[in-house]
Amino acid sequence: MRQPVQELIERYQNNLYAIAFNICKNQADAEDVVQDTLIQYYTTSKDFEDEQHIRAWLIRIVINKAKNTTLAFWRRNRRSLEDYIETLTFENPESENLFEEVLKLPEKYRIVIHLFYYEDYSVREIADILKLSESNVKTRLSRGRSLLKTALREEWENDE
Amino acid sequence: MTNKEKYKQAFSVLHTSDISEGEVKYMVKLRKQQKMKLAAAAIAVCVIVGGTGTAYAANVGGIQRTIQLWMHGDQTSATLDLNTDDGSYSLEYKDTDGNTVTQGGGGVAFDADGNERPLTEDEIMEELNAPDVEYLDDDSVWVYYKNQKIEITDKFDKDNVCYVKIENGDETIYMTVKYQNGYSTSPDKYPDPRSFN
Repeated sequence: MRQPVQELIERYQNNLYAIAFNICKNQADAEDVVQDTLIQYYTTSKDFEDEQHIRAWLIRIVINKAKNTTLAFWRRNRRSLEDYIETLTFENPESENLFEEVLKLPEKYRIVIHLFYYEDYSVREIADILKLSESNVKTRLSRGRSLLKTALREEWENDE
Repeated sequence: MTNKEKYKQAFSVLHTSDISEGEVKYMVKLRKQQKMKLAAAAIAVCVIVGGTGTAYAANVGGIQRTIQLWMHGDQTSATLDLNTDDGSYSLEYKDTDGNTVTQGGGGVAFDADGNERPLTEDEIMEELNAPDVEYLDDDSVWVYYKNQKIEITDKFDKDNVCYVKIENGDETIYMTVKYQNGYSTSPDKYPDPRSFN
């Protein structure tokens, strides 16, 4: 099956942006990555099984492209992460604190944490998207949680 | 609140600038044209370095040709409309599923004095038959050149760069591919990955 690009944009653009931003930590890079991902969907001849297949494919592509961006030889001179965070309107100081602490995590924990807590993917599904073993995903999830718990203390529950 | 609820609340502040389907389609078209211009610039450099005094075809305006084109390892007939006044072209052929595919492009080159000029018919043909890279949905990566199909999925180094030497009879092409970030070719040596994109 194929879904019109416009439908995917309306449904997933902010989710894809959040994933890309989580990796790039840069607004402009993340926006470029989302646009590149949608272009790749538009030009691919791949036939998808269902909407969840499309969603997982988009997420895999956006992660790969965002990682490539961070590896690029040059990085554009852009607004700093701190300046960008100042433009965001958080519901409360705890949210801002959580946001900042997540972005301090090592990238390999950050991606897994985001797919689990924001996209509601299971360990098995994350393993499939990231091409990792389930035990590897569990380890990264556990270490990411542990780092968040240390940083956020009572603002983060023990949920393992 | 659960951790998931807290997390979602924190990250729900992220919103991207609105993207439209029209913008995506426009970018696809634009990139095809940019790719053409980059190739044209590379051709011009070869002419200057080689100093062979290549004579270019006279400007004869619109030309239509039926040509044999290599598309991902398969040879197919295509109709090529050239406008040598501005170096633009349109191409029409049938893909492996029998669907008619139309694509267009164009570009300019620079002569030895640095003056801009439209691409010639030979240069456009050279570009159309140049090596191409395809990223498949199973994550494999392929280089196509005429009837050759080379998998390079596992050939990228730690910097995500792959160097491919393509041999076709007496012809040798050196190709540098940056993973999902463009490629460049030369008949003399591997292009420096820092020199493009």
